[in-house]
Amino acid sequence: MFGYYIKLAAHSLRRNPGITSLMVLAVALGIAVCVVTLTVHHGMSSNPLWWKNDRVYAVTLDSWDPEQPADDKHPDLPPPQLTWRDAEAVTASGIPQHAVRMFKGYGVISNDGDGGGVRPENSIVRVTSADFFDLFDVPFRYGGGWKAAADAAPEPVAVLSSETNERFFGGANSVGRTIRWNDRVYRIVGVLGEWHPAPTFYDLNNGAFQDPEAMYVPIGWAPSLELESAGNTNCWKPESIDSFAGFLASECIWIQVWVELPDAAARTRMQAWLDSYVAGERRSGRFQRPDNNRLTPIDEWLRINEVVRDDNRMLVALAFAFLAVCLINTVGLLLAKFLGRAAITGVRRALGASRRQVFLQHLAEAGMIAAVGAVLGVALSALGLHALRVMYASPREGFTGLMHVNAWSLGVAVAIAVGAALAAGLYPAWRIGRIAPSVYLKSQ
Amino acid sequence: MITQDIRPILSALLRNRTGAVLVALQVAIALAVLVNAVYIVKQRVDKIGRPTGVDIGNIIVIDTIGFGAGYDHMATVRDDLGWLRSQPGVRAATVVSQIPLSGSGSSNRLFKTPEAKGEGVPMNYFLLDDSGVDALGVKLAAGRKFRQEEILPEDPTFNQPVPSMIVTRALAKSLFGTDNAIGKVAYDALGRPVTVTGVIEHMQGSWVDWDKLDHVGLLPRQPSGPNATYLVRTEAGRRNAISKLAEEHLSASNARRVVQHVRPLDYYRNRSYQSDRNIAIFLVAVTALLACVTALGIFALATFNVNVRTRQIGTRRAVGARKVDVVRYFMVENWLITTGGVLLGAALALGVGYSLSRAYELPRLDLYYLVGGVVALWALGQAAAWQPARRAARIAPSVATRTV
Amino acid sequence: MLAMRHISKVFRTDLIETHALRDFSLEVAEGEFVAVTGPSGSGKTTFLNVAGLLEGFDTGTYHLDGVDTNGLSDDARSRLRNEKIGFIFQSFNLIPDLDIFDNVDVPLRYRRMKAAERRERITSALDLVGLASRAHHLPSQLSGGQQQRVAIARAIAGDPKFLLADEPTGNLDSLMARQVMDLLEQINEMGTTIVLVTHDPELARRAQRNVQVIDGQVSDFRPYEPHAQPATFAAAAAG
Repeated sequence: MFGYYIKLAAHSLRRNPGITSLMVLAVALGIAVCVVTLTVHHGMSSNPLWWKNDRVYAVTLDSWDPEQPADDKHPDLPPPQLTWRDAEAVTASGIPQHAVRMFKGYGVISNDGDGGGVRPENSIVRVTSADFFDLFDVPFRYGGGWKAAADAAPEPVAVLSSETNERFFGGANSVGRTIRWNDRVYRIVGVLGEWHPAPTFYDLNNGAFQDPEAMYVPIGWAPSLELESAGNTNCWKPESIDSFAGFLASECIWIQVWVELPDAAARTRMQAWLDSYVAGERRSGRFQRPDNNRLTPIDEWLRINEVVRDDNRMLVALAFAFLAVCLINTVGLLLAKFLGRAAITGVRRALGASRRQVFLQHLAEAGMIAAVGAVLGVALSALGLHALRVMYASPREGFTGLMHVNAWSLGVAVAIAVGAALAAGLYPAWRIGRIAPSVYLKSQ
Repeated sequence: MITQDIRPILSALLRNRTGAVLVALQVAIALAVLVNAVYIVKQRVDKIGRPTGVDIGNIIVIDTIGFGAGYDHMATVRDDLGWLRSQPGVRAATVVSQIPLSGSGSSNRLFKTPEAKGEGVPMNYFLLDDSGVDALGVKLAAGRKFRQEEILPEDPTFNQPVPSMIVTRALAKSLFGTDNAIGKVAYDALGRPVTVTGVIEHMQGSWVDWDKLDHVGLLPRQPSGPNATYLVRTEAGRRNAISKLAEEHLSASNARRVVQHVRPLDYYRNRSYQSDRNIAIFLVAVTALLACVTALGIFALATFNVNVRTRQIGTRRAVGARKVDVVRYFMVENWLITTGGVLLGAALALGVGYSLSRAYELPRLDLYYLVGGVVALWALGQAAAWQPARRAARIAPSVATRTV
Repeated sequence: MLAMRHISKVFRTDLIETHALRDFSLEVAEGEFVAVTGPSGSGKTTFLNVAGLLEGFDTGTYHLDGVDTNGLSDDARSRLRNEKIGFIFQSFNLIPDLDIFDNVDVPLRYRRMKAAERRERITSALDLVGLASRAHHLPSQLSGGQQQRVAIARAIAGDPKFLLADEPTGNLDSLMARQVMDLLEQINEMGTTIVLVTHDPELARRAQRNVQVIDGQVSDFRPYEPHAQPATFAAAAAG
């Protein structure tokens, strides 16, 4: 029977090509606009380390000005970064399985004479502690990270991104070779595989879709080379800072801290440690705000940092309003079309078709429109996402990287198409199913 | 005449109302979206179009960084500026700590008294030299530009005080309650004084989304290395040629220094407004599509109605209706449906506008937009119904007597 | 085959009540060919709709092939129509965008029937009406008489016990009309009961028995002499 409905639907759709294409186009446009906005929205709100969401936490402490919160718009939140000394203390607590303190650095990377004449380039370099790679499950192509001892010494070692390795070493295994950063020589211990987390959840200070770092070096180099942050440094306290040591001891926040806590017990112990650490500091005159010591999982971290902006939510709402108009349009056209052939349906009913059979026949027609609309809609969304990539063409590769049709988008397209078939088809099919078989027979 | 038409058309509509209700719903949603989208687009366009206060079309930004022990920052900056200023077509060049309108900048707080009480007034500051005012092309309203001997050497601790500053009128008003601020003294958080030596009309600072974008101060200090960013203001029409020349010269002049970018200042402003601009484009595109879909829906349903009523129309013609009567019947019918949708849509538009104004902290939807939207949808509906109505009028009276 | 007893049906509007059928009784035996005649507005059409299970009625009983149709669900009525009744309409009512073969297929589609069996039935029905060679023409490519023969093929393809023909020759010229009537007689001789609704006494005369409806009641009947067949009907002309 199903095959018969499909045959009838195809027949009926071919009969009014104008109306059919209008309905298919309406459904396709509705699906396309929704898929485009939802794909971007989904990409923005996705957690690139979802499998560790219950183990990995951002650490924040409220060391800010007793007179006012760090962010007027969100007075309940502690500042997003830590002071150097607090970051050092938290990572030295010994409780987390892995603990990372880090900041975004910069400087000129150049080859050390054995890589051919590659033009030196100012690059983003993450200055971080050894656990970075294990904590964030960063994949390596060659070699690996450095030992914790290299942070303390510090040792002149570096991990390259796959792009940097491509640029300076043509993609060859460069482990054991050397590279220069700000004209100092570093020994390469590891080369990353493809790793472009989007959003760059571990440092959201300068936007959630940043270029990946070109290189990673031990955090111990910060004090000895007096490295500044290329990200945000925020200070609230009037204090006279006249040396780098003074800066490290100041209340300025500029360090991100993440910890991996494998179970609830570890989490409880970590929270207790943070509370007691802050209590101790408070006795010496710091931390004069109420306790607000947080361990924030990644999902929550993305939310409170507003990675998905109001604008994006507005676009999703707009897309659904558009879809609604497209579907109402289709309902109207289907209804007009179905009622326009009420006489024929009357004949079918006279010949013994039940209401259910008439209903299903017409629902099949709506389903076929939705199916064709979905296929066209996916093609249109690919086009739309391409247009967005052009519109957002910028150094921010991480963002345009979200703008592709992926398995998730296809799933959304199918779900919307099924919903559309039901939304647009149910009422007209029901109406036509109610047609009394006798009404139209004599009236011709 | 028209009102005489309305009653029978309305009662015919009410007897067969599903199609009309569906069209009215489309019109309602279209109106709500259209009005709010246009309102938001207008806000974004206004935001992008705000005056920058600087000579935005004629400024080149050169972004460089030195590296290694062999790099002499002071000498490099001196040589670079000397070369840049000597080029024909260059009006002024300065070294600057941050690029205006780029989204990257520095700020601190100033206070009216040395005790530094209260929240203070935020100032988005730029370190630059005695050519700074000319290189930005900002208009001096009072006081004077920096003198060469006033420019302090670089301060790697970012903490040494400056004795003088040039501020925008807006910052002066916030600090002192008046823009007549020459000679007035403000204090930093440590109570160190800074005297206003110049007031400029207007300048936009670093962050386009900041509500104090025009709270800008210029400070007379050499920015510290190893970055050196230059602003070069050229004569009209010379920007691109000088950019090319400067990139070639600076790239070759010093092996210990990398020229990262030579870009017009426009580039940074466009990049900062990229998301506003793209949202506006997206809103316009979807709203236009929405209008098209709605118009096509009205058109298709009107066409269907004409087809279904062929015999009825023929009969009307047979009993004496003129073509114009038939056209008017369909146009009035369409107008009634659209009006129903517009009434519902006005309520919807106000609701959406209210929730958007809460989410964005914007002023409430301006009613002129609603009026404009209503008129636009009436026109859209009438335009979409025109062709089917004309087709109805062409139906021959003889169909009334024809058997199937 | 068909037994209507004391059927009445009233159409009500705000202003008036129209008695379309009043205490209408009629029995048709299996194998009969009955013509129902009457002037316009006499209730013929209502009788047709009730007899064909297209509409219900207010009071009385109606048994079709032994099945009491009172209180049947819409689905059950659909199934009865599909299996027991073949319809032939004045305006043919072929589906314009299906070809001849598919038109005859329509009632069969609403039964659980194998494709091979459907094809066989369609072919033999089209053979019977002499249009097998036109199976893949569209209705618009046929003459009126041919279209009505397709409609007859469609009516008999499901092998119903009972054919209900509504002015089957109303839209045809006399030659074509005769062909259609010949065909109906042929089908009746093969055992199918036929009720023919018409206002045309000439046509009615070809039936075995005539029933005249006036004002929603059976007012007159003329048994067909040669087959002195069932006189079991009760033509109660009460009041």
